[in-house]
Amino acid sequence: MAAKQSQHVWEDIESSLNEVSKPGRYIGGEYNCKVKDWTTTDFKAVLAFPDVYEIGLSHLGLRILYELINSQPDMLAERVYAPWPDFQALLHKKDLPLFSLENKRGLYEFDMVGFSLQYELSYTNVLTILDLGKIPVLSKDRTEADPLIIGGGPCTYNPEPLADFFDCFFIGEAEEVMVDICKIICNWKCSGLSRSNLLDELAKIPGVYIPSHFQIHYQADGTISEIKNLAGPEPVRAVVKDFKTVFYPEKWLVPYLDIVHDRITFEIQRGCTRGCRFCQAGMIYRPVREKPPEVVMNALQNLVKDTGYDELSLTSLSSADYSHIQQLISQACACFNPLGVNISLPSLRIDSFSVDLASKFQSARKSSLTFAPEAGSDRLRCVINKGVTAADLLNASEAAFKAGWQKLKLYFMIGLPTETEEDLAGIVEMVESVFKIGKKIHPKASALRITASISTFVPKSHTPFQWQDQISIEETIKKQRYFQEHLRGRHIELSWHDPQMSRLEGIFARGDRRLGSIIYQAWQKGAQFDGWSDQLNYPLWMEVFAASNLDPDFYIRKRSMNEILPWAHIHSGISQDFLKKEWERALAAVLTPDCRNAVCSNCGVCSTLDIKKSIAGEFDV
Amino acid sequence: MYEYRLRFSKEKSLKFLSHLELIRTMERAFRRAQLPLAYSEGFHPHPKLSFGPALAVGICSNDEYLDFQLLKDIEPEEIKMDLNRSLPEGIQAIAIVRINTQHHVKPLNAIINRAIYAIHLKTTPEECSKVIEWLNQLMNLPEFVITRYSKDGQKLVNIRPWLHNLTIEVIDAQKFILELRFTGEIGSGGNLRPEDITSNIPHPVEIMSVARISLWHEEKGLITRPLDLC
Repeated sequence: MAAKQSQHVWEDIESSLNEVSKPGRYIGGEYNCKVKDWTTTDFKAVLAFPDVYEIGLSHLGLRILYELINSQPDMLAERVYAPWPDFQALLHKKDLPLFSLENKRGLYEFDMVGFSLQYELSYTNVLTILDLGKIPVLSKDRTEADPLIIGGGPCTYNPEPLADFFDCFFIGEAEEVMVDICKIICNWKCSGLSRSNLLDELAKIPGVYIPSHFQIHYQADGTISEIKNLAGPEPVRAVVKDFKTVFYPEKWLVPYLDIVHDRITFEIQRGCTRGCRFCQAGMIYRPVREKPPEVVMNALQNLVKDTGYDELSLTSLSSADYSHIQQLISQACACFNPLGVNISLPSLRIDSFSVDLASKFQSARKSSLTFAPEAGSDRLRCVINKGVTAADLLNASEAAFKAGWQKLKLYFMIGLPTETEEDLAGIVEMVESVFKIGKKIHPKASALRITASISTFVPKSHTPFQWQDQISIEETIKKQRYFQEHLRGRHIELSWHDPQMSRLEGIFARGDRRLGSIIYQAWQKGAQFDGWSDQLNYPLWMEVFAASNLDPDFYIRKRSMNEILPWAHIHSGISQDFLKKEWERALAAVLTPDCRNAVCSNCGVCSTLDIKKSIAGEFDV
Repeated sequence: MYEYRLRFSKEKSLKFLSHLELIRTMERAFRRAQLPLAYSEGFHPHPKLSFGPALAVGICSNDEYLDFQLLKDIEPEEIKMDLNRSLPEGIQAIAIVRINTQHHVKPLNAIINRAIYAIHLKTTPEECSKVIEWLNQLMNLPEFVITRYSKDGQKLVNIRPWLHNLTIEVIDAQKFILELRFTGEIGSGGNLRPEDITSNIPHPVEIMSVARISLWHEEKGLITRPLDLC
């Protein structure tokens, strides 16, 4: 391996940092930040988040891996986030590499760069981070002297559009195998073996996917004819078997900036078994696993003392489903409220139980309450397996208004399978009914406000709706206009997603490897921060598509049930049979019950991944 | 209620924190140190912290001030030790004194009206003497009108009445580095900012660092330090 000149970039950039917006994004040094000795630590990883600091540091997964790797005496993990264009310009001007926040080292000096891939519209930022970090953007151009580039997170369930840029992906939950991956890279470093030897070794780890080990062949119509396996087995999602004792940070970075989730987050449960058919998270984090309340409380006591935070969130995909939630909330409130620490739950169900819970820890006076009916009719909610009725929503809203809330947020989606005009009218009707109840209970309240947030449904891989087509920009705008015309009034607020962004998201969510060249060209022409409405340059993307032989609509079209999907070789543990059956049940508007307490719905996860659901009350059995 | 005045530093990379970020950092340090801050009443209770004049982003200082109230009577030395264990590197508690609640002690922003800044400027062999000459003549001008830019537009300001003293010293003759020190008005009577002077130097200079090195109260030629006004 070629000897590399280490570069101390901080001295060179410090005097100019004042020129950029929010310089605090680039200084590091947060409370509990770990700066390990650079020269005496064997293995060096940098964890990268392809969006700004305030979003990246809010992400739980990278926090876990940061502490996990740093807990190993011979390893270090540092951080980097996507720099804002003004800081990029400064790096260019001074000819400095993008550096880590801890030891302020150029990214090229690390052994591994691990990206968290949460959102399709952050893909171009991955390229920016690599390029500014002085690492070849394309995997094929990297040599033994370059770091290994690995990606994890929900986007890796279809990572194909990124296959050209990553050496490997990690599918699933990394806590139990991350250290092994680092050890393999560390041992390889001193072995003198080639990069492909390293990839062969890594492929043996559960969850690791090496895109170059697979070759994709296409038919004349653009669909896939064959996914050819060149070496090793197909990747299967890695899963944490013992969630009760799984690693969780005992230290918690406390930022200076006002980040998006500026609080302690404690994951009380992983997985959700409600089985909403549109929801990728509900499929790829199965089965449900709870942490016992005493484990949660012990950990929280230390985190509260150590951070100085005044808010903590008991997080999961559906916290109200946690079997001891009432007991946990009561204990947490009794323990932490006297210290001035507020408790929050990120996700509420649509029932009065959840409203009661919320009123225990939230002041109705200052906050708003959010419900997600997702669709406008009982029928369509059966299609998506969201088993709530209009009556449920009205009862829950009434309970919320009676408990003192005056602001409610309602989440809906447009473009769901089988949607008709009646379903849109149903959304309008629901919002108005909720408003009327509010008006009855708070007749004089000027603060009464119903916010309807209407997003465009983007079909995702590994869900029963993966075959569904996504609605066009024109159709989206038409539907959004319908709501603008019908949802009016001083007390009703309407918000929606940018239809251009939803289309791009949909293209990449179900895209294939050929999109790599589109991403590369768009990035070269200046595309970045595509999820930021003030940064997205949609016409640029369309120009790149127009100059290629790829049609963007090809990727958001309806797929045939016997088509080879681009992610067919990536196994989430959910059986294809289950997804197909769920798709048929969706079309027939038949509900599938939650397996938490009811019978097994045979999704295949437990048998394929050799794991069991674990509910707190059942631990000692 | 027990009232205290803290003198602290804001240095190294933490000079890049905004005033709001500094407030949050302080609040959390008090909480980590388990020092029970008094909170305001009302629907949005917030800790009763009262800072001196805000320091602009990028300027370091070891003479910043903060008044706070605790619910418990704790010795100032003990508070200082606890705080320093909880503060991040770059912010340090330097001294803490009790505020005498029997007397009417004025808030920091009402008393502090002078600030000294020290600025390191890099010049060139050709321009060095011209820069020194230009800076030295500032004190002799009857008025010095500059343009200040804000989001509402620009406006002309005569900053000369706010400039109370100015010295210049060559600190590295080989590299042509100068130290400019000036005493300026701060607070309700006017506000002289370092860039009011540096951005108007009619010769190319590179600003290497800016530090605020002292804050005090001056009245009729009499100088008092904030910790002595408790």
